[in-house]
Amino acid sequence: MEQQTKLEGEVAKLIAEAVNLETPAEALDPDIRLFREGLGLDSIDLLEIALAISRKYGFQLRSDDPANGTIFASLRTLSAHIAQHRTR
Amino acid sequence: MKTATGAAWLAEPERGSAAAIGLISWLTLKLGRGATRWLLYPVCLYFLACSGQSRRASRAYLVRVLGRKAGVRDVLRHYHVFASTVHDRVLLVRGRCEEFDISVQGAAKVDGILAQGRGCILLGSHLGSFEVLRALGHFKINTPVNIVMHEDNAAKTGRVLAHLAPELQDRVIAPGRPETMLRVKECLERGEIVGILGDRPLGGDRIWPCRFLGETARFPLGPLLLAGTLGAPVVLFFGLYLGGSRYEVHFETLVEGETVAREQRPEVAARWLERYVEWLEHYARRAPYNWFNFYDFWDAGAH
Repeated sequence: MEQQTKLEGEVAKLIAEAVNLETPAEALDPDIRLFREGLGLDSIDLLEIALAISRKYGFQLRSDDPANGTIFASLRTLSAHIAQHRTR
Repeated sequence: MKTATGAAWLAEPERGSAAAIGLISWLTLKLGRGATRWLLYPVCLYFLACSGQSRRASRAYLVRVLGRKAGVRDVLRHYHVFASTVHDRVLLVRGRCEEFDISVQGAAKVDGILAQGRGCILLGSHLGSFEVLRALGHFKINTPVNIVMHEDNAAKTGRVLAHLAPELQDRVIAPGRPETMLRVKECLERGEIVGILGDRPLGGDRIWPCRFLGETARFPLGPLLLAGTLGAPVVLFFGLYLGGSRYEVHFETLVEGETVAREQRPEVAARWLERYVEWLEHYARRAPYNWFNFYDFWDAGAH
């Protein structure tokens, strides 16, 4: 497993808290898939995560973002998206 | 998926060929409802002869809801009610509501919510016609209605309808995508209605067992978890077909709109779901032939 960056570590913690992960946040592989296979999250989990992200980082994830396929692909891609759009 | 095969039988290209549906729709719009309704009889007889699985499912359901033996005549009546609602859909999506005698009860429950600028989840079912909702503009509810449903289903049952009313296609929200629930949230935030059929798992769903007509069946918990997460009001919707040109629409308030803490959410959602299933049973008894789940509903979890 690759090392998590600082932001990835933070986002892993946010995900673990939002959806009650059994895996400890620091053990999450940054490249593991979030949706369905991989971490096995569903659309409701992703909504929880999106709500937590908007509270913590001050921006909204949008359903009509053409990049959604990549944004939600993994911890790494989600963190990269947050780094780009965060307002706090 | 087995759940989809039964119910969509009339519209499935491999059964009722797309060409035949296209022809019937065209004739219906040209000649009107009354002049084309007789076509439903040969269609029903054809399905009675050819669809063993739906026939068995129909009978198994009818025995439960009627509390007596169900014969071929009952199954035929069941098919005819379903075929009637599919036939009427062609006119409903075209806004031809004057052909129908529709009574509405409880519309104020939805009005009250929308008047506050809030959106609402309209939780329907495969009991009766959801399309009769298209007639609500007729009753001064002019808020956009989005519907969560499988696009491939929509493509099958809806290719003809999509052609008739292309504007409705934009309002279909595909389930099981990463952004599905985000889209629902955005629709609700804009004060719109989001329709969900709450009696069939949409795949990959969280399931909860509830007693329905005397035996346990599996229902999706997802829509109510969503309501608890977003604090969205949930109103139940039943569009029952009562024969002739008569429809009876019922709205029932299920949840006023309260955000539930995450720890309590599964439990609270399950309680709401149980109430939904009680209403479902209530209206299934009121209009028993309106049940359009033509697969083994109580055994669905095994598939």
